[in-house]
Amino acid sequence: MSDRPSARPGSRASSPLIIDFHAHPGYSRDLDGLRREFGPSMQAADHYRVRYVCICSLADWSPSPTPDAIRTGNDNTLALMADYPDRVLGLCYVNPRYPDEALEEIDRCITREGMAGIKLWIACRASDPLMDPMAEKAAALGVPILNHAAYLHRNQPADPNTPADVALWAAKHPRTMIVMAHMAPCRERGLVDIAPYPNVHIDCSGYEPESGWTELAVRRLGAERVVFGTDTPIRSYGMSLGKVLGARLTARQRALILGGNSKRLLARRLGK
Amino acid sequence: MIVDAATYLGPYPFRDVTGAPAGLTRMMREHAVAVSIASPLDGLFHQDPEAANQRLMRAIKGRGSIFAAPIVNVRLADWRSRIELMGRDPQVRAIRIAPAFHGYPAAETRHAAECAAECDLAVTVQLRMADERFHPSFLDLPATPLPDIIALAAETPNVRWVASAARMAEIQQSAPQIEPLHNLWLDTSHIDGLDCIQRASAAVGIERLLFSTCWPFFYAKSAFLKIGEAGLSSEQSSRLLGGNAAAAFRLLQRAV
Repeated sequence: MSDRPSARPGSRASSPLIIDFHAHPGYSRDLDGLRREFGPSMQAADHYRVRYVCICSLADWSPSPTPDAIRTGNDNTLALMADYPDRVLGLCYVNPRYPDEALEEIDRCITREGMAGIKLWIACRASDPLMDPMAEKAAALGVPILNHAAYLHRNQPADPNTPADVALWAAKHPRTMIVMAHMAPCRERGLVDIAPYPNVHIDCSGYEPESGWTELAVRRLGAERVVFGTDTPIRSYGMSLGKVLGARLTARQRALILGGNSKRLLARRLGK
Repeated sequence: MIVDAATYLGPYPFRDVTGAPAGLTRMMREHAVAVSIASPLDGLFHQDPEAANQRLMRAIKGRGSIFAAPIVNVRLADWRSRIELMGRDPQVRAIRIAPAFHGYPAAETRHAAECAAECDLAVTVQLRMADERFHPSFLDLPATPLPDIIALAAETPNVRWVASAARMAEIQQSAPQIEPLHNLWLDTSHIDGLDCIQRASAAVGIERLLFSTCWPFFYAKSAFLKIGEAGLSSEQSSRLLGGNAAAAFRLLQRAV
């Protein structure tokens, strides 16, 4: 198929490195179910020659899961990392509302088990002081944080985290590498919110392939701050890659977004 | 032959997106699209879409590979004469109706749809455009329910219906009702998720799906990559990419 990106890692010197910075194992609560769901995700990643897939559990998908549910979810992520060594990188999911347990879980999953970063979802806003120890820990370890954010329509339930919250958090923690998820749902305002904070990146996961967003993010933030991600299995690899491969970008910008920036963010795990 | 069942010309009012004829032609050439069905993007937001329709018709005049699906607002009293006029233009292959955008229930489209069928035109229903969760704050625009279109299709077997911009979950929920309807097709523009094309095909049959990019609102590349990863057989690809659309829009029966 002519539309397949010509990027098989390691096979051609000119092939761009592709890293999916934002993926999930699946919807199942048990490891067997997740393994069944995750296999097709990896087949799709193979199809597009995605070199690394960063996955994070969302535990039981409740907004504020318990430490036990969090540990189970992260154990599943660790198991999938073992299933796909050197392909799958884990992001340690924690709930800042349980700060002691969260910091211990980060130590367990990142320091001892080799996960590559931290995932924070919707348990609390980024501007909440409970998020500060997470940011400090990430900076100390030299790992990035992937943080959900969006500006939703007034008819939707209020979003628990917005780009404005991320901006406040980033200002307090300039050494912390933050990837704010979901470019289009963060809207034009979200890009402007985070523009002054070079430690904040944005990913192109989790929305329909509305044209123009990738180019706009590059204009507002620079290509060095835009990161490829899918949100698979919620979104497909093809739809997501089209946002980068179909955008009016230079080859350098495209390479940074597809994998160059993520490689830099994940340097602690992947090496320089 | 690749047929793109949903493209647009003109501006989108809420973002810096405009479909220009040259851009559409370039996209078609780049992706080997033989035929596009185009509607005026701005017409969705006009109570009277006539001016937008006229701009569309002027823009595609003489471009044999681009057919029109002008927009009809059935709340305008002269909808019948407008549809009949459209039916006399060989470059028009469908009407596009947008119940949510123009503020009426889908059931009100029945008579206009039957009129379109009498004029040998398909009826494309715009269920949505953008994700409702991220609309501008002042815009209250819920999607037209897919089951409403399915009910209409079941009641009007002489009408060729195309539901545009349905989502995966909506298709799966209504699959048993869709599958037996041979006068209803779904475009692939808003179908997403892992293995989405395989799952949509398994749910309603490949013969019910029409390839579409939703260009310029969506990156066209996404639509092609989505199909490319589906692992379809040659016959399935042929049907999805063009064969089904040829039937839905009667591309082979009606010469320009």
